[in-house]
Amino acid sequence: MLRNIKDKFMNYSFGLMLACLTIIAISKFNNFMDNYELIILIGSAITFTWMGNVWSNFRKLFLYTFLLSFISIYFYKGTLEGIELNFILKYFLSSQSAIMWMTALYPLSLVTYWIYLFSKQDFYGNLATKITWIATMMGFVGLLVRWYESYLIGIDVGHIPVSNLYEVFVLFCLITSLLYLHYEEKLEIKKMGAFVLIIITAAVAFILWYTLEKGANEIQPLVPALQSYWMKIHVPANFIGYGAFAMAAMISVAYLLKDKGIIGSYLPELNVLDEMTYKAISIGFIFFTIATILGAIWAAEAWGGYWSWDPKETWALIVWLNYAAWLHLRLIKGLRGTVLAWWSLGGLVITTFAFLGVNLFLSGLHSYGEL
Amino acid sequence: MRFAITMFSFLAIASIIGTVLKQNEPYNNYIIKFGQFWFEIFEKLGMYNVYQAFWFLLILVFLIISTSLCISRNTPKILKDYKSFQDRVREKSLLSFKHSYQFSLKNFSVKKTISFLKSHNYKVKHKVIEGNGDLIIAKKGDLQKFGYIFTHLAIVIISIGGLLDGNLVFKVQELIGTKQIQLEDQPLSKIPLKGRMSEDNLSYRASILLSEGDTKTAAILRAKEGYLVQEIPFSITLKNFNIKHYSTGQPKSFESELLVTDKKTGETINKTISVNKPLTYKGVTIYQAAFEDGGSQLDLLVWDLNSSQPSFKMNSEIFKNNKLTFENQNLTFEFKDFRKFNILEVGQNEEKKPKPTNVGPNFLYKVRNESGQAKEYQTYQLPILIDGKYFFMSGMRNSPQEEFKYLKIPADDNLSIEGFMVLKSLLNNPQKVQNAINKGINTSAFTNAGKKEAFKLGAKNIINAFVGGGYNSVVDEMDLNIPDQASIADKEKAIKTYINIIYLVSQELVRGYQVKNNEDIVFPIKDASRFIQDALTAYSDSFFYGVPLYLELKEFKEVQASGLQLTKSPGQFWVYLGSILLVLGIFCMIYIQEIRLWIFRKKGSNRLIVSLATNRDRMDFDQYAIEFKDKIKKIT
Repeated sequence: MLRNIKDKFMNYSFGLMLACLTIIAISKFNNFMDNYELIILIGSAITFTWMGNVWSNFRKLFLYTFLLSFISIYFYKGTLEGIELNFILKYFLSSQSAIMWMTALYPLSLVTYWIYLFSKQDFYGNLATKITWIATMMGFVGLLVRWYESYLIGIDVGHIPVSNLYEVFVLFCLITSLLYLHYEEKLEIKKMGAFVLIIITAAVAFILWYTLEKGANEIQPLVPALQSYWMKIHVPANFIGYGAFAMAAMISVAYLLKDKGIIGSYLPELNVLDEMTYKAISIGFIFFTIATILGAIWAAEAWGGYWSWDPKETWALIVWLNYAAWLHLRLIKGLRGTVLAWWSLGGLVITTFAFLGVNLFLSGLHSYGEL
Repeated sequence: MRFAITMFSFLAIASIIGTVLKQNEPYNNYIIKFGQFWFEIFEKLGMYNVYQAFWFLLILVFLIISTSLCISRNTPKILKDYKSFQDRVREKSLLSFKHSYQFSLKNFSVKKTISFLKSHNYKVKHKVIEGNGDLIIAKKGDLQKFGYIFTHLAIVIISIGGLLDGNLVFKVQELIGTKQIQLEDQPLSKIPLKGRMSEDNLSYRASILLSEGDTKTAAILRAKEGYLVQEIPFSITLKNFNIKHYSTGQPKSFESELLVTDKKTGETINKTISVNKPLTYKGVTIYQAAFEDGGSQLDLLVWDLNSSQPSFKMNSEIFKNNKLTFENQNLTFEFKDFRKFNILEVGQNEEKKPKPTNVGPNFLYKVRNESGQAKEYQTYQLPILIDGKYFFMSGMRNSPQEEFKYLKIPADDNLSIEGFMVLKSLLNNPQKVQNAINKGINTSAFTNAGKKEAFKLGAKNIINAFVGGGYNSVVDEMDLNIPDQASIADKEKAIKTYINIIYLVSQELVRGYQVKNNEDIVFPIKDASRFIQDALTAYSDSFFYGVPLYLELKEFKEVQASGLQLTKSPGQFWVYLGSILLVLGIFCMIYIQEIRLWIFRKKGSNRLIVSLATNRDRMDFDQYAIEFKDKIKKIT
């Protein structure tokens, strides 16, 4: 009973806090936003309130992330030199440092999950979960502070950090972890962390290479085609799709290992893994569909047509057809098991090509994220 | 459905081909890339415009038909299922359900059970079976089945929308012969009706290129190897085109200030469009798509790199040609493009990584000789920082497939090209060269007068070779003087000596000039040696520069042209409608679970049979069934 009251109190306070933040943001930055961006801001506040209400850990993440971000912004004192002058910024809370912490913590969490998998001791499982949450928090702090830093470079240079390959790779790690953490909590199974964190660690490795070899972490202003409120909804929706597909593929890896009897005794039951894969692909599919449609509407506003058979658009269609077929086989034909697991894993190859390969190897209107 | 899958696979493969093979390029590019043989094969297969190839559109049509058939076949059944409560079940079959429970319940109340079920969002029906008892049938989530109809209907609607925007009508017209693609460059007014698409063309994506101040009354549709004229119901005037830049130098926005005039009513609209902010008027949407040069004026100085001639003026304009006779050749200078901002990765002084910097304007031109062959040049107006020093860059290539090779002329301390031009003039002045040799030799340790003269002559030959043909000629000179049998080491030593001589003489030329002109600012004092070396290298490279005329851009007056895209897209509405339906349908299919429930009480007994069924029998349904059954038990 008391718990219920406490929960309700937290929910209302959270909602109230978000409402206040939104009002402050609108009053301060009204001139920088057009009507659509106002709607997106209010919509986001409502969405995050709802998410905080149904998932208390998300609420915690949100609070800590924003707390650290605001502290970071305070330390900057309005100038980029702050990074050099302030110890906390330099080593923890500047956008780059926070993201570097994220790149350190995700691999650590991967290792911890594997220890958990073999030792079967809850301590390691809980530790791994905690590390994953902290890594995700640092990543979000990194992106939020980067958003602020972009405005410090120049008022017209500032933009939401989902505009190039580097930024979206960070976003990918964060969204995939959140999706995973959600299912981990809901199904009360921590074993899949050992697998999902593999793809996240791979993404982290790419981020590190991209930063150190190509200096990709430098903030660049937006090219005219990207100056649109659509970027705020099309890109994140796409990454919920990519993240879910990536998670599904990793769970399929676990499925295939179990099926072949490799470390099978440590893994959950086959039908559990199968079900998890289906859930992941379902949510990925619906968001991917929404993202592709949003992309088409944006294309119509920016390039003159909702579909130009641009390589990125075309490969998005291929990804969509692929998972539509997967779902068809499962829902209509009632297929289960090994075939679908292999297919889900193969789906990751197609998704990766659509995500990365198109930018690397093919040219087109979408080449914002070139290496 | 297998047919549909095959068709979808074809579509997928064709689409992938379209991403790997660049689409809608001018046919020339494909001929160069694949050679005549494969070019023709690919052309017949429609590979250059896959997505509007006849067979591609045919596949789309088949998909629409097959999906529609699927829908029409399954919809009656779905509707029937939706309406029915499946009340014709027998006790036996109820017991055979996977989720079936039997238990006694003393105070079973039909009314209370029905209200309980309704409170859980079930639709309930009660049937009294004579002689047998009460049957309560409940169901919820039956919207789930509509997911199938929504998604497949959505695909049909989207495909139809897509077809509406495909240029089927034109394809038919082309087949019949009422429309024909134009191949030649002609003034728009001369193009016959066959090459014009009327204003009423339902759907198109056409383009217009407007210079500032220009007005156009029709657009161009690029098609295959040629084009068509697309009539539009209004005229467009470009009042001003403006590119705004970030503080970093990169472009921030492209804006066209347009005046649109209705042809019939004369109504005018003034609007500034930019990327992501188009203008829609009379069903046509005008987009900011690209920008080009619109005929900028260039004030040039022409330098002969291989003589001591002074420079002379040349005034030109982009899209115009200038004729010039040089060394008995009639040359045509065709000015192609001018770009005011160029972002290059330019090196900094220390080990800092190169950052994108605006290096200033450049212009593109071709020099064509009498036989029609041309070389292309791209010259930057301002000197560019490379490895800590400033160079004037001018690229040359023999054909568009090649990369540009750059002539790097070092800038003097004033960041001007004057320093280099002074040196090249001095080198081409035999008297000054002789004086420099004399002076240079006198300071050296030669005792024998005869040897001195021979040396001076040798030096003169070396300098002449260099002045006439660069370092390559110097190597030829060496071959003349050194016997063939001499070792490589000896030959290298000789070349080094020759280069040294050229350097020393140049140094002396510079000194002489500075003394005479008292302008020690022209040549960099700090790094005179580096400057001279770079200048000599540039001079030597000038012999690979084609016609040795360097065009220096002094002043320019920029005229810009804005590339607009005009789109008419009736299919757009249907595609968007279909998309909404698709999302709804997917949501229904995946997230709504249909559950049916039967409760049967035999007449006069306390025994209840509770059976549940669902369309998606998942793991959590077992638990749901048991929990729900327990809840029913507790109804009082």
